[in-house]
Amino acid sequence: MTGLRTPPDTGPATPPGDDFAEPEAAAQAIARKPGVRLGVAGWLRWGWRQLTSMRTALVLLFLLAAGSIPGSLLPQQGTNPAAVSQYYSSHPVLAKVFGGLSLFNVFGAPWFAAIYLLLFTSLVGCVLPRTLRLVGSARQPPPKAPRHLDKLPFSASYAAAGEPEAALQAAAAVLSGKRFRVRTGPGWVSAEKGYLREVGNLLFHLALLGCLVSIGLGGLFGYKADRLLVTGTSFDNTITALDEFHPGRMVSPGDLQPFTVSLSHFSASYVTSGPLLGQPSAFNAAIRYSDTPGGPTKPFTLSVNHPLVVDGTRVFLIGHGYAPTFRITDGTGHVVFSGADPFIPVETSGLTSEGAIKVPDAQPQQLGFIGVFLPTAVDAGGQLESRFPAPLNPMVSLVSYAGNLNMNSGPSQSVYSLNTSGLHRLPIDPRPLSVGQSMKLPGGLGTLTYTGYQQWVSLAITYDPGQLPALVSGIAVLAGLLLSFFVRRRRVFVRAEATGSGETAVEVGGLTRSDAAGGFEDEFSSLVADVSGQAAKE
Amino acid sequence: MFRLPSTARRAVAGAAVAAAVALAAAACDGGATAQDTAVGNGSSFVAGSYGTTQYQPGSRPQAPKVSGSTLTGSRFALSADRGSVVVMNFWGSWCTPCREEAPVLAQLARNFSGPRVRFIGVDIRDDPASAEAFMRNFRIGYPSLNDPNDAVALDFSGTLPPVGIPTTLVIDRTGRIAARIIGPVSYNGLKALIKQVSAERT
Repeated sequence: MTGLRTPPDTGPATPPGDDFAEPEAAAQAIARKPGVRLGVAGWLRWGWRQLTSMRTALVLLFLLAAGSIPGSLLPQQGTNPAAVSQYYSSHPVLAKVFGGLSLFNVFGAPWFAAIYLLLFTSLVGCVLPRTLRLVGSARQPPPKAPRHLDKLPFSASYAAAGEPEAALQAAAAVLSGKRFRVRTGPGWVSAEKGYLREVGNLLFHLALLGCLVSIGLGGLFGYKADRLLVTGTSFDNTITALDEFHPGRMVSPGDLQPFTVSLSHFSASYVTSGPLLGQPSAFNAAIRYSDTPGGPTKPFTLSVNHPLVVDGTRVFLIGHGYAPTFRITDGTGHVVFSGADPFIPVETSGLTSEGAIKVPDAQPQQLGFIGVFLPTAVDAGGQLESRFPAPLNPMVSLVSYAGNLNMNSGPSQSVYSLNTSGLHRLPIDPRPLSVGQSMKLPGGLGTLTYTGYQQWVSLAITYDPGQLPALVSGIAVLAGLLLSFFVRRRRVFVRAEATGSGETAVEVGGLTRSDAAGGFEDEFSSLVADVSGQAAKE
Repeated sequence: MFRLPSTARRAVAGAAVAAAVALAAAACDGGATAQDTAVGNGSSFVAGSYGTTQYQPGSRPQAPKVSGSTLTGSRFALSADRGSVVVMNFWGSWCTPCREEAPVLAQLARNFSGPRVRFIGVDIRDDPASAEAFMRNFRIGYPSLNDPNDAVALDFSGTLPPVGIPTTLVIDRTGRIAARIIGPVSYNGLKALIKQVSAERT
């Protein structure tokens, strides 16, 4: 599953019992043998093996990807409830079927949860036993020294003065000094080094589990939200104040960190000449925030990739635009609208923006307007267009409607578009207005005044408790992988035998697993020199 | 009784924990709302958090301190209404289901006029001119707090934060929340709730 296997010992003199036992493979062989009946335990074991096999994990991963397709094709309850209810009214039968299959709430659907829980179980079931085996491998003492050291890939021999015991003790001391793990027996010393490789392997596997848990943690306890904020206004971080809210499964409405953000000023700088004319060069949003309701406010400047962090919640600046301000009086002389109406940019070179103004409480008729805001309006052959994103000549042109806005019942609407099905267009020329100009609606329906503009910013508010653990796990995965790639496990064996003439014949053998990085030869010969030198001194 | 190998036993325990987490997750439904789309009309799809929740007298959450200025500029403090049943409605003039329920609330407020039952609106994310036009149009006779920042909603974050608008709370005479209605109120449903809570002895 993980692509990283501890290499089996392939050295010619590998002692038995050193290899990883594969009990699962053995059990599988039994299970597949025809005629052998499986008990309950056997079937469970078989099911578990199937679930934790790499093939199953891949199939589940594919299902997860396939299962999220309807989530992008159909409107989702969490992100766009208005579109869902629209779907119900336009395709009542189909919508019922889709609704029954939770296709309007894919990411909260029981079948979707089943897929990711199985995938998670499969991954854990694969990684956990492997981790346990690695723990065993890392704690294993060096094996007994083989009988014929001259058959090992690296070997040397020398004659030492004195008893074999003294020579072996000297060798053991040298190897211990080089931080080998040493084991001694009658007439031999066996030493092994490079257990860090196993530690690295272990770290890799544990960190992989850590990654999974962190991502799960973020998904369960984190949330993402968006909020559009007009200059001079503020909002409190509570669900009703958020335009979009995507909570994790375990997030309850009271869990949101209760901070307040107010936007004092927004400035955008643009390139004023050359081929990059109109390209933005800097965005800064001067805000004041308080981290407790009603507490003292502190200033902060938000810019791109420079978020505000309050109690682990991050507030990012992700967009900006214009909100022209209007004052609208209805046919009875009452002011029925006075404020900023955020328009959405439809292009970037001149920030031409579009929006809708809805006045559901105008009398005698409800009023609606579809508008275009031009930050730098320039006459281009009888047609106005915006040539620069900064508000150098901010003009607005509006198409006016009256009638029924369909807002007193029925599905909720987007504030940025007008449902014109119950409206009639008023016979008035959509003459572009400059700041301060008014237009009188025909039929005594009222007057609209374009009073100016504000800028708005859109903020992304994210809380992901799994972010830091995921980063740490990610680094640990990499560190573990590097350790297991670059650290070699190597073994050195020493045998000493009395020759009868008062001298001792010493044999040294060396063995390494996967000497990909090379260099063991040098290490071995310097070890042999040290061991024989030490023996000679005594 | 069969025995699984130790690694399998551990893994089964892990799976059991995962399943328990999944069950807990399924029991807790995160409601999602959007400003422009409030709560939806709720008639055709399962919104999860839509509907009425009633709290028995022993287990009612205490309403927080709520105070502020109304759309007409006068001061309001919830604590001053202790001794009355308070119907608190979160709304905005831009919100379709709020407009749908407005005639019901206006009528009920007229029916229950008098000091025993008080109605208070919380107008969120609105401009005062639009809000006043709304109140004129639907002949809303009770005051509304002007709350462009959702500060009142935030006051409730420790108890029962509104997850969308409209949300209506029925607060008993001791200042505890007796019922919460998410989505547009019905005339008979809210009337029965108010009668029930005001008939309680304190």
